[in-house]
Order: sequence, then structure tokens, then C-alpha cells
Amino acid sequence: MMHDIYYIVSGPMVWISMVLFAAGSLYRVFSMGLLAAKKDHVVISYMNIRYALRSILHWIIPYASISMRRRPVMTAVAFSFHICLILTPIFLLAHVLLIKESWNISWWYLPDRIADAMTLTVIAGCIFFLIRRAIRPEVRYLTDASDYFLLALVAAPFASGFWAAQHWPGYNLALVIHILSGEVLLASIPFTRFSHMLFFPFTRGYMGSEFGGVRKAKDW
Amino acid sequence: MNLIICMGLFWVISSLHPPVAFSQDDILTVDDSAFLRHMRPAVKFPHQKHAVNKRIQACSACHHVYQNGVWVENGDSIGMECSECHYEEKQDAIMDLIRVYHLRCKGCHWEQKAGPVLCGECHRKD
Repeated sequence: MMHDIYYIVSGPMVWISMVLFAAGSLYRVFSMGLLAAKKDHVVISYMNIRYALRSILHWIIPYASISMRRRPVMTAVAFSFHICLILTPIFLLAHVLLIKESWNISWWYLPDRIADAMTLTVIAGCIFFLIRRAIRPEVRYLTDASDYFLLALVAAPFASGFWAAQHWPGYNLALVIHILSGEVLLASIPFTRFSHMLFFPFTRGYMGSEFGGVRKAKDW
Repeated sequence: MNLIICMGLFWVISSLHPPVAFSQDDILTVDDSAFLRHMRPAVKFPHQKHAVNKRIQACSACHHVYQNGVWVENGDSIGMECSECHYEEKQDAIMDLIRVYHLRCKGCHWEQKAGPVLCGECHRKD
């Protein structure tokens, strides 16, 4: 029975979540592009690659925009959170090894201690965003239950993964929760507000294009 | 509520490891000399338990010999380290060695639906 559970979560469900993520992402980006072409053509005609990249560059470098400098703590947390969120799963030894076993390809991996610290950074980031949502009036006003749910969904694979990595009691359950919540998180990216991962280059690129090409102004 | 009860039951069941009915002497530590630096705790391997297991046909299931890529039917490699054949000085050599260990142990556990398959079930900190 246990082997069946482990097999399902680490076999077919991995594929299902990857396909949902990849196909869902393509669908969201293309359907949004078609919608823009049909209903909001200005977005496409104003798009300018130079201004777009200039804006994206200023917003992916910490403190390169006025808004980021005005909120130094939020900027530090947001950057460290996102960097650790994306890099830790890709360069975790345990993950690299599983891919090595399946496909016989491998790449560089993080020392365990660094990976632990990066995982804790993600969890700490979630707690920071949680408290921020609860106490800052302007954020609280825009918050509903789904925001807390999405925060929990991000924290789940990292918290359970950290738990399992420390070999704390309930290891087997922690690992099953880790795998399952990771799959749900990955599959949910295209279909929830996590889709900002897909749309960021386009929304930022458009803002940069409009400010650079039309208003002749900086947007950072 | 049901979910919580199920998870609780899972926790209890998954924590109950079958008692190992052999003395410490029958449990070997897999400590291949090619692993200069351990990234995970070395595996405590119940060798005797595997030796008497009827689902394992012969010692050569693990202690196999290949010559020019062909399996030698009555050959065995008892007393040799896996790395004597499965390790060659090149990039990714350690990952390749880890891979063959994992495929041999975990691969069989998956096929037989018996024995540990999660990382920390073999690489135990205690």
C-alpha cells in the first residue's frame, strides 16, 4: 500500500503536474496575447523591445527603482524570497539525484547547509508576507482568503521538505506531503495569481514601452 | 477531519518499521571507498536479511559480473566494491556511482514493492 502511494505521487503525478504547468503556461500566454490583439491592440502596437528590456532590467535588479528604494525591507524580502524560491528546488542535491537516476543527466547542486538556509528564507518570506497582509491597511484592504491560501500553498512544499530533510519524526508523511504540495504548486502556477511568473515580462515590458515610447519617461 | 485522521494513521503506519530480526553483525555499512566525502549518512544494509530472501534469486543479483558488456551467468563479484567496476575517473563519476547504487537497491524495492524507497528510509541519521 505504501509503495503504491509513493509510486503514484513520485511517478504519474509528477508528469501530470509538469504537463499542466507547461501546457497551461503556453495556453495562458498565447490566449492572453490573442485577447490583447483582439481587444486591446494598443498593447501590442506600443510594445518596444528596447524600452521593454530597459524596464525589465531596472525591475529585476534590487533597488534599481524608486519604489524599491522607498520600501527597502520589502525589497530585500521580495528578492531573497523569489531567488530562493526558484533556485532551491532546481539545485537541490536530492532533486538533482532523482533526475540523474531517471534520465542520467545532472548539473551542479547546492551544499545542504546553503539549501537549508535558502529554504528557511522562503518560509520566512511567506511569514513576512502573511504578517504584512494582516497588518498593513492598504494591503489588508486588497486581501481575501485566497491570498492566505496561496501563501500556504507556497510554504507547504518548503516547510515539509525542510522537515523531511532534517529527518524529523513523521519523515515518510512529510515527504509525501512535500511531493504532493510541490506538484499542486507547480500545476497551479498558470491558473492562479502565481501566473505573475509568466506575465511579468509582458506587463513590465508594456509599462516600459508606454513610458519610454509614448510618455518619454522612466518607469522605475 | 477525515483527512486529518487519515494523515495521522499514515504517520503511525509509516513510522512502524518492521523489526530487524538479525544481530548487528548481519548489518553492513555501505561505505564504498570511492565515496571520499559522504553527502548523506552511509546506509546500514541488512545483508543477511537479503541473503535469505527467497525473492532474490541469487547472490549475483547484486554481486554480478559483466565481461565486455555481457552478463556472466555463474560469475560473482563477492568481496568487490561496486566502485571497482562502476567508477571511472571522469566528470560526474560520483553521480554515476550513486546512480548505480540507487538503481540497484531502490530499483529492486520498487519492482518488488518491498523495502525502502524514500531517501531517508535508507540514509538514516540515527
